[in-house]
Amino acid sequence: MKTIRYASVVFSTAVFLIMSAGAVYADNTDTRKVIECYESRQEGSPVTRRDIEPGWPNVKCSSTSEGVLWWGDPFDGTIPMGDMPIEADYSRGEAVVRPRIPYIDRNKLYTICTEACHNGQYVPVPESKKPRLLKMHKDIVPNSLDLQHGRGGIWCLDCHNAENRATLVDNFGGEISFNQPQKLCGKCHGPIYRDWRDGIHGKRIGMWDKAGKKRWWVCTECHNPHDVQQGDRNSGFAQLPPEMAPELPKGMPNVDHERLEHGAGH
Amino acid sequence: MSKPKDKDGKNTGTTRRDFLRKAGYAGAAALAGSATLMANTDNPDSQATWAEWFQGNYRLMTDQEKKEAIERLEKRYSAQYGKKVTVDDAPAIDGVLFGYALNIQKCIGCRRCVKACVKENNQSRTNTEIEWIRVIRMEKGQFSLEDMDKGYPAEAGFDHGVQVGGNAYKPAGVVLEGQHYYQPKKVPEKDAFYFPIACMQCEKPPCVKVCPVRTTYRDPDGIVVIDYNWCIGCRMCIGACPYWARRFNWGEPNLPKEEMNPKTHYLGNRPRMKGVAEKCTFCIQRSRRGRYTACVEVCPVGARKFGNLLDPESEVRRILARKRVFRLKADLNTYPKFFYFID
Repeated sequence: MKTIRYASVVFSTAVFLIMSAGAVYADNTDTRKVIECYESRQEGSPVTRRDIEPGWPNVKCSSTSEGVLWWGDPFDGTIPMGDMPIEADYSRGEAVVRPRIPYIDRNKLYTICTEACHNGQYVPVPESKKPRLLKMHKDIVPNSLDLQHGRGGIWCLDCHNAENRATLVDNFGGEISFNQPQKLCGKCHGPIYRDWRDGIHGKRIGMWDKAGKKRWWVCTECHNPHDVQQGDRNSGFAQLPPEMAPELPKGMPNVDHERLEHGAGH
Repeated sequence: MSKPKDKDGKNTGTTRRDFLRKAGYAGAAALAGSATLMANTDNPDSQATWAEWFQGNYRLMTDQEKKEAIERLEKRYSAQYGKKVTVDDAPAIDGVLFGYALNIQKCIGCRRCVKACVKENNQSRTNTEIEWIRVIRMEKGQFSLEDMDKGYPAEAGFDHGVQVGGNAYKPAGVVLEGQHYYQPKKVPEKDAFYFPIACMQCEKPPCVKVCPVRTTYRDPDGIVVIDYNWCIGCRMCIGACPYWARRFNWGEPNLPKEEMNPKTHYLGNRPRMKGVAEKCTFCIQRSRRGRYTACVEVCPVGARKFGNLLDPESEVRRILARKRVFRLKADLNTYPKFFYFID
């Protein structure tokens, strides 16, 4: 009799342990390893997870939003920021950026488009910067007469270099690399550019000390220059899927429990 | 003395004397267990635990004792999590007072800071999930001036004369339950703004004032830290904190081995035990080694800024000089080192 009772206790305990272990495993959403994720803006700052050293990845990705959640090496895949026109925070310490050209060249069309198509002969250099309806590039700008940037004040060739499509254009017709879009954006967005130089606007990762090495985020890593107004939202930043809400406390069936069950005032 | 009987009237065979005798055996067994702990066994867990139970308050330990405590922990954690775990004891850096600034105009409420913090700081993942940052969703107009006078509870039977600001259906300056459980498909939502809160690293921290064993204290670089080993789990600090910043390990923390961050600090993200309080430490294991905190690095909109308040050229000081800044519940005289700002 006793033996049976003990056995049943042991058995039920074992079952309980196995079940709770199973529940723990099922709740742990991060068991799904996401390899391809994005840093700041979706479809604009991709990064691939890989191990820098065994058990130490370059990034950890969220299984919910597929955004980067953690940097194992903040300087992974970066290059020096390069010359900047004005002495500022980036002049001290080491300022590095993740180059934008590999992203622009993700379909291996960067060189083909700039050298084979926009070579001045196949596609002639336009005589004027006046907006006109484009048949091409609808994946980037669906309607070229309704560019979601500058509210009708600017058009493609205010930023893209008409003479050399592999570059952007500065105020004097000079070339700006796609890796340094801040030089271009600063032409118009002066106060934002100033805040960015001082580390108030935008994002930097790495070392907090002013002399420390930092990776600076450049404009196009967060903002989509071809859709910066975001239509009615009128915001520079596109919407993102959020991470999961916290677990409800034990015994709380829903978030409105107090108000629904116990009346107003709670 | 009659023998106790079960509901069928049979003797269950347990008297008080029997019970005491068995308790005696159990006590002897427990002593024997302690002896095993002291003996030289191969199990790092048993060895570390014994000395760990009897170590002193971290602030009163000598350098040698600290070194031994850290070696014990490294050994135990490495065995427990199956990888090389380091426990840092870096002290505060001279001439540094950490400060934090958050742009509430930029925050989109995506909660990536919340999850980055969990990844970095080894919080319990499930079954008492612990998150140090809370992102509160607020409706635009929640703080409108005309609502501030309408504070009386609706349908109240009599007038308590208590001004609470707004009411349950249109709160004004009041955070109601459930405001951090929002889960839309995409953020930011229209007409909502988001307000992340975590430990404010107060200059006059109420949690430190109430701690009866002085296991939580403020270090010279402004970080309020906890020696988890000395914590008795009384939860006074949780009650004292006006910012809802502290969490309690109600159960054994649930931290999967592969998820565990092996770079830890004694006063920061080392794995906690059941029955201790924990909270944000400005990623002490990173910040004292010069690195930005995990939440600063992950924020996709760059709303979070971190730096040295004693350096006039730091990002945080520039924000204080140039932007409109406020501190949460400044009227409580806690002097937080966490600032909110707008462009």
